[in-house]
Amino acid sequence: MKTMTYREAIARSMRGALEKNPRSIIYGLGVTDFTGIFGTTLGLEKEFGSGRVFDTPLSEDAMTGFAVGAALNGLYPIHIHIRADFMLLAMNQLVNSIAKYKYMYGGLFELPLLVRAVIGRSWGQGAQHSQSLQALLSHVPGLTVVMPASAQSVLDTYEYAATKARFPVISLEHRLLYDYSFNLDAGARPADPFTSRLVREGRHVTVAATSVMVADAVNAAKFVSEKAGIEAEVIDLHCLTRPDSKLLLDSVRKTGRLIVADAGWAPFGVCAEISRLVATSDPGLLKAPVQEIAQAHSPCPTAKTLENHFYPDMGTVADAICRLASGRKDHGVELPSADYKRRLYKEFKGPF
Amino acid sequence: MTAAYEAMFRQALRIRLAEEKIAEIYPSDKIQSPVHLSIGQEPHTAALIASLAPGDQLYTTYRSHAAYLAKGGDMRLMFAELYGKASGISKGKAGSMHLCSPEHGLMGCSAIVAATISHAVGAGYAFQLLGRKDIVVSLTGDGSTEEGVFHECLNFAALRKLPVLFVIENNGLAIHAHLAGRQAFSLEKLTAAYGIPYFLSPDGLDMPAVAAQTAKIAAAVRGGAGPAVYEIRACRYMQHVGVAQDFDKGYRDRAEFEAWRARDPLVREKALIEKFRPELDREIAAAVDFAEKAPFPACEEVLKDVF
Ligand SMILES: Cc1ncc(C[n+]2csc(CCOP(=O)(O)OP(=O)(O)O)c2C)c(N)n1
Ligand SMILES: [Mg+2]
Repeated sequence: MKTMTYREAIARSMRGALEKNPRSIIYGLGVTDFTGIFGTTLGLEKEFGSGRVFDTPLSEDAMTGFAVGAALNGLYPIHIHIRADFMLLAMNQLVNSIAKYKYMYGGLFELPLLVRAVIGRSWGQGAQHSQSLQALLSHVPGLTVVMPASAQSVLDTYEYAATKARFPVISLEHRLLYDYSFNLDAGARPADPFTSRLVREGRHVTVAATSVMVADAVNAAKFVSEKAGIEAEVIDLHCLTRPDSKLLLDSVRKTGRLIVADAGWAPFGVCAEISRLVATSDPGLLKAPVQEIAQAHSPCPTAKTLENHFYPDMGTVADAICRLASGRKDHGVELPSADYKRRLYKEFKGPF
Repeated sequence: MTAAYEAMFRQALRIRLAEEKIAEIYPSDKIQSPVHLSIGQEPHTAALIASLAPGDQLYTTYRSHAAYLAKGGDMRLMFAELYGKASGISKGKAGSMHLCSPEHGLMGCSAIVAATISHAVGAGYAFQLLGRKDIVVSLTGDGSTEEGVFHECLNFAALRKLPVLFVIENNGLAIHAHLAGRQAFSLEKLTAAYGIPYFLSPDGLDMPAVAAQTAKIAAAVRGGAGPAVYEIRACRYMQHVGVAQDFDKGYRDRAEFEAWRARDPLVREKALIEKFRPELDREIAAAVDFAEKAPFPACEEVLKDVF
């Protein structure tokens, strides 16, 4: 089976967007420098010209509003933030303009555009270089928020966005995933990529996950299957603003047990939202309370010892699966050792 | 008196009469939307837009009736929009603050001060990249120049020599706050710091002067000279939002307003007013009638066009 890294999938998608949509432009801080947004935009300026691929001044607010005027006039803007945190300076445009443009004018305008923002993690990125703001963005009607969790998801979603979609998309890419290799064509590939995906079938517990937590959930599911014969079903929520609720509810109907594993904070977040979805649709499906796996509800600390407590990992998911499947905290399944996890994770070494 | 002057005059008068009609209807509460009237500022808007090409685009603010009508927007659709009717330009989802008329190049009006300036820059970039010969006009108030994004936009437009004309409508007020208490900078010097040419019309009521100035600046921008900043001084006759005057509130000087009004062509030029008034009154009455009779949007509409 063919494999590809997440980084390579993004790089191909960026080139693909420029090739397949002659009206697409790619810009953002650092887009044309020698690091090329972690290697995802390298060489594009040279090949497609500085009119279509360009670096910008440090003006996140203006360059986000810029996308509005560009999209209104037929361009397909792809605006990249090397850190999702920097996008916060553009919240006015994202929330007040982009999310409203179609609705507020009664459908007279459409704003096809893509904002890529990278979530940092590890190696002391700290409070302002690491945030997973999917909940904040998904809350606002009018924004379509995705968190691609695999190379195939990146390829499918970005191609659809750049060539077919007529709406604004915000994609949160996880820095840890960049170096991961994925099997292409693995799992379900929905025709419209803006929905959720079934990643692994199982009958005991459902894990609905986002972004890097999908990889953690798959690793955890394999681990508990081998160690304890527990079979977890893993759903990659992928498009947070358009989750496949049928897929999710059917899975919970089968397993009766749900874990939501999100790469963000739990309160008011994806854990809360997916719990809401089940609670308001069919709460009787649940044989046990929903388990939430999320970051500690604090800013991200820098010290490694604290960071380890801040971030959940595949061990956290494995533990939750065993607890939920057995109905006991002391489920007796030996959890993955630090060594096991170290072998599994390609640890990110900074700086940048 | 030239035909061009008469046309501008007629447009300015049309806007004033339409807004006076809004003020007349307002107490009935049929228009349930905040209205920011342009009364006192319509002459420069009419003159400015008369001097642009039909393909030029405009991005402006909540004080949008004048720009909408001058750019060619249908008055009936505007009144229906103010009434919250399904036949409004945006099906009753925009109200007074977000008028638009894409077919005439009015591409949006924001209730967030300065939010449309960057939209104009993006549009200018698209025009440049696609080889389109039109220009983009950003029309905002003096208060918008205090927002950081104005500076970001001047910088990028200058850097890329974009065909964007930043028009600053300076009425000396941001709600109730005077310019002197808000700005430590001079717009002219700020503009110069970005290497952008700056132009000033000290009297927005002087329509021929504004028209001539606009034509000159627009020609340069269209010709590839890069962006320009054009300040037009004006007087807001009414309260910031709403349909009354508020000189009794003590924050502004009535004498200053009287001095502007004494020069106001829409007050002084009786012969032209008489010439156009009957026809304009009929258009306005028809627009109001259209709005009155139009249906309200059906409730399914609330979830349409969200994504
Ligand atoms: C970002 C933002 N801040 C504050 C406000 C509240 N507000 C509405 S209009 C206005 C004054 C704007 O003044 P100016 O730009 O001079 O335009 P004018 O109303 O005089 O036409 C303010 C502060 C707003 N709408 N948006
Ligand atoms: Mg003002």
